[in-house]
Amino acid sequence: MSKEKLLSVKNLKTHFTVGNSIVKAVDGISFDLEPGKTFAIVGESGSGKSITALSIMGLLPNNLASTDRGEITFNNSNLINLEEKEMRKIRGNSISMIFQEPMTSLNPVYDLSFQISEVIMLHQNKNKNEARKIAIEMLDLVGIPEPQKRIDSFPHELSGGMRQRAMIAMALSCNPKILIADEPTTALDVTIQAQIIELMQELQKKLGMSIIFITHDLGVVSEISDYVMVMYLGNTMEIAETKELFSNPMHPYTKSLIDIAPQISDEKREIKVLSGEIPSPINPPSGCVFRTRCPNASSKGSEGEIKMGLVEVNPGHWVDRCGVNCGHK
Amino acid sequence: MIEIKNLKKYFPIKGGFFNSKKGDVKAVENITFKIPEGEILGLVGESGSGKTTLGRSIIRLIEPSEGEIYYNDKNILKFNEKDMRSLRKEFQIIFQDPYASLDPRKKIFDIISQGLKIHTNMTKQEIYEKVSSIIKEVGLQEEHLNRYPHEFSGGQRQRIGIARALVLDPKFIIADEPVSALDVTIQAQILKLILELKEKYSLTILFISHDLSVINQIADRVMVMYLGHLVEVASTKKLFSNPKHPYTKSLIETAPQIFRKNKNKIILKGDIPSPINPPSGCVFRTRCPHASKDGKEANIEMGLVEVEKGHWVDRCATSCN
Repeated sequence: MSKEKLLSVKNLKTHFTVGNSIVKAVDGISFDLEPGKTFAIVGESGSGKSITALSIMGLLPNNLASTDRGEITFNNSNLINLEEKEMRKIRGNSISMIFQEPMTSLNPVYDLSFQISEVIMLHQNKNKNEARKIAIEMLDLVGIPEPQKRIDSFPHELSGGMRQRAMIAMALSCNPKILIADEPTTALDVTIQAQIIELMQELQKKLGMSIIFITHDLGVVSEISDYVMVMYLGNTMEIAETKELFSNPMHPYTKSLIDIAPQISDEKREIKVLSGEIPSPINPPSGCVFRTRCPNASSKGSEGEIKMGLVEVNPGHWVDRCGVNCGHK
Repeated sequence: MIEIKNLKKYFPIKGGFFNSKKGDVKAVENITFKIPEGEILGLVGESGSGKTTLGRSIIRLIEPSEGEIYYNDKNILKFNEKDMRSLRKEFQIIFQDPYASLDPRKKIFDIISQGLKIHTNMTKQEIYEKVSSIIKEVGLQEEHLNRYPHEFSGGQRQRIGIARALVLDPKFIIADEPVSALDVTIQAQILKLILELKEKYSLTILFISHDLSVINQIADRVMVMYLGHLVEVASTKKLFSNPKHPYTKSLIETAPQIFRKNKNKIILKGDIPSPINPPSGCVFRTRCPHASKDGKEANIEMGLVEVEKGHWVDRCATSCN
């Protein structure tokens, strides 16, 4: 899809065994991440976006079902086959992650100095004092006022926005090539969300890392990303450059998401609706997984027989096969 | 229909020697407004702005510290418990978190019918008929009545919450962030449902949200709240096409949008200050992009001024632009 690849995901499948059934949380997705770019993954809860991130980080629970899991290629190695020992060298070092809820993802019983220094000492071979110094520089970089003082604060002493800044400082302290951000602004107020998005954009310019940005908010996607992947029930519905996706959406799911997304306008707008709810991943619809909610679904149910798979409709713009046909009806 | 005059709510902070009072959390400060019958009034603000406290004070779920609340020209703060209880039938609330606001040990029928059992003399048969008709109104089926809350998705639970609020035929509903915990596609379904039911039952609604684009879709008029104060009140059209207060402007500019008209946005610095010790004068001055160097805003008393018909802005903002 792209010229230069930093990370390449091919046919990733992450299935779990739950009781007697298999949950197909991620069911065959592929994408490439270019250096220095932001790749957004967007979808509703249950679409598999967080599991995609955790699959890349190797942070999955141990009830994985034995299926062919596909490939995640980074630095010429397949992350899926890496030993835990090897993965530990990459995690937090060249690929790091920030989470949605900064209060639950920071450890409440340690101060920031301990938590940030820990990563630096582990991956960069520094002693305690050097690590603390770097930690202070990192806090300064992410715009925390009086970093010398704040370094000794505990998470509960910081506001939500400051905690998310501290998380970012920790994630960036080893100068990663890839930062995975899983809904980093969802729990924050709008004004703080705007601050954090601005900060991430500045840091990306300064440090040149790639970002995988997971969100359910198309507004945020359009502000921050270069490419977008729309996920639904473990499958990719559409991938395109951000501008292309919003100006020329092809898949009926993408179209509905854009229609529905709350927009500020001068007048009260009519509310558009996509009916139904996302089906259970234990027993997904056959054929096109979106067909149960699709406004274009045929009355004959022919979508039940179509095999899912991306088709390139314009250079760099990929749409699921079923959506290519039905979108034009 | 409802008129609020100089409403205040302070929460005392106690501790230390003899558990003496050390200060107040000034959650709601001197708020005055009216909600005409049949209106959806939006109340928007960040966390900590006092919007939930204000909403609950209006129906006396939280006892206000000072002020007057008129419902059909009667001051309900003067009502005794018995009068208040019969009035509660007409006021209902829909909560944010559909997971936390339904009792997990009760069946849906019991959750919805509880109000009817307390407030009316209906027979069992009448109650059953009422509940099964209301559950269909909100888009669920009669057989759902025998299930427990954990068997439903977030969107369905919010529908149950709405059914519970509507079963007593209320006149006034407070919807406290009813869609913030839901996915976008479900959010749109619930907003549409609320609008349809509002028409059908001729409800008056105070719709609380932190999300301006949701308020934009649903409200007739909007109040913007910051640190316990109203800083701007206007019709939805006026507020979004011609915002006057720098806080409102920034909220509109920074709300993430797919198709943004205005590219240059002013991102506010810092966090909302503590309501224990709010800034003197204009409470917004510590984050205001127009704040002067001499700090004269510290001496300007807060208060709404009508700048155009029906468009009210805090005094300080009428001069700072």
